[in-house]
Amino acid sequence: MTDGRSWQGDWKARLYERVRERGFDSLTAFADARPAVPLYALAEELGKDDVAGVQVLTGLRAEAERRKQVTRLVRDLLARELAAGLPNGWPAVLDDVTRFQVAKALGLWSGSTPEAYSERTRRVIVALRANPPLAGWRPLGPDDELLRKLLPDDEA
Amino acid sequence: MSHPSDSRSAGSVVLLVVALLTTGCASVTQAPGRGGTLSYTPQQWRQAKPRADTTLEGPGTTSGIVGEQGAERTRQALLESIDEVNSSLEGVESALSKLATRRIGFDGRSINGEVLTRFLHHGSKQLTWIRGALGSATSLMDVASEVEDSAMRLGVLRMTGPRLQSAMFGTLLLATWVDFLQLSDALLRECFMCGVEKQYVDLHRVRGLMETPLAGLASQDPDRVEAAALAMPELMGELTREFNALRSDGLSAMELGGKVLVAAQVLEMVTLISSLKMSLPRLPPAAPATLGVGLAMSSGGVMAGSRIVVSAEWVEMMRRLVQAGVISVPAISAAVRIHGGQVMMAQGHQDLPKGVREALGDSPEVRGMRVTGRAGAGMSEPPRHHVLPKEHREWFEQRGFKGDMDIDQFCVRLEQAHHEAIHGGGNWKLGRMWPDEWNRRIMRTLNDAELAAGQKLTRNEVLSIVAENMRLYDIPMKFTKGRSR
Repeated sequence: MTDGRSWQGDWKARLYERVRERGFDSLTAFADARPAVPLYALAEELGKDDVAGVQVLTGLRAEAERRKQVTRLVRDLLARELAAGLPNGWPAVLDDVTRFQVAKALGLWSGSTPEAYSERTRRVIVALRANPPLAGWRPLGPDDELLRKLLPDDEA
Repeated sequence: MSHPSDSRSAGSVVLLVVALLTTGCASVTQAPGRGGTLSYTPQQWRQAKPRADTTLEGPGTTSGIVGEQGAERTRQALLESIDEVNSSLEGVESALSKLATRRIGFDGRSINGEVLTRFLHHGSKQLTWIRGALGSATSLMDVASEVEDSAMRLGVLRMTGPRLQSAMFGTLLLATWVDFLQLSDALLRECFMCGVEKQYVDLHRVRGLMETPLAGLASQDPDRVEAAALAMPELMGELTREFNALRSDGLSAMELGGKVLVAAQVLEMVTLISSLKMSLPRLPPAAPATLGVGLAMSSGGVMAGSRIVVSAEWVEMMRRLVQAGVISVPAISAAVRIHGGQVMMAQGHQDLPKGVREALGDSPEVRGMRVTGRAGAGMSEPPRHHVLPKEHREWFEQRGFKGDMDIDQFCVRLEQAHHEAIHGGGNWKLGRMWPDEWNRRIMRTLNDAELAAGQKLTRNEVLSIVAENMRLYDIPMKFTKGRSR
């Protein structure tokens, strides 16, 4: 998915067709079956050449809003970004390289969340900096204990 | 008028001279130490048109242009080509400075005389911007080598394209201009029937012919550079005719003065440094031999008849740049035609023979790749979007996005978006979501990354994050230069 082809035609229809082809009735179900798998990998699985990561993200967000599970999705996305950027878990030592790996993962995560969450994501980032998780921390999904502490559900 | 027999003998003398010149240049072509490449001709890179519909990796990802090795090969080819343009330029510069420093002719009758020296200055001015373009290509290459994300690195390498292309074609035009200056200088010094006024008027006219293309090249705007490159064979054809006419005028004038042999010697003194020597027709009565000699690919390179136009090494270098999307097939074809002296033919816009094109890396994928500045016939140019939001120019400047790497260099065109938006069809949201959604997201991502790092990001770190976002949105890393305001 590198040539703009993912934006040709009715991409939403294509996206859901692929999800159904794989035996899921929603993107959320498809994604839940692949916890902590990076967004780009989800997109690649749905269409190597014609599905963009942001399309998967858009679909997940729309579904989460309908289900009133946006905070859960925000946690879920953090698990995915950390898996993509810090495959060996949270670094033991912050040097120039690992500091940027952490920064990139958290920045990309923040950018992928709804704008209404911008304050909350910033607070999470500040908290993670102030009290870094244990070395090797690698949340395996939205129900990770630390993630839930950082971003508790608050939806009705 | 002189007797027919005189005119015939003058003709054959000139023919001989031209033949000698041609032989001379053949040896230049194969000069040792240059890998058999032409050292004086601008060679050419890059496709100036951004290809919104290209793959990130470029055509045929299988061809291995991505990844470390591919990027290194591209870098190497770029390095060699910059070197080559540089050495061509040195040749032109030395010819120019010889003209400038020669003793001024009797009564100011020389190109460095009071009246005509402005034409010399015109040449020096071109030298300045061409050097700038080459310097800029070199520094972009250095920047690219530090970029970690391989797709982004290729994206930055491709940004050298318009600079290199403008330097190459600029050098080619400048060399031609210097040849005109040399001819005028020789005629003024040796032919007292040749008036300063006529030289002035002639040079003025020739300068006019070159003006628009030179301005286009100097702008380094990808579209203008590409347009200038594609128009070059035709322009070179016109310049060849001009040169030929001026040379004939000079000859006639000298013959009128009864100096037939001197005339031949004068022409001999003018050692052409530009590709004019390839394209000039043999003076009558010989048939214009280069016309109609097709170009063909051989193991030694591209041949015109028995002459090597460009070496196999050069072809290989170009093929790499073409496949990496640094230069376009049409531009490179224009350069080959000019090298081959194939500029006088009416079919100026025709393609090179298939074998030659394929050797240069042409393929359906590459062709598909160059679709593009325009969404289709009659449609306006697709809008250029700043990938790094211009509302935050200062933020980026503080992180090293200045000069050759300023944010205006990082624009993309979302052609398809435009196209489908106009027709109301499709489901393309990418173009329409720009700039608000993209800009907010990218700034939020970068600011929060800095928050997480507890320090400013470096330029390369910014690029690495931006590359990731472009991948997320499936935006090809084909950058074009946008407007600054």
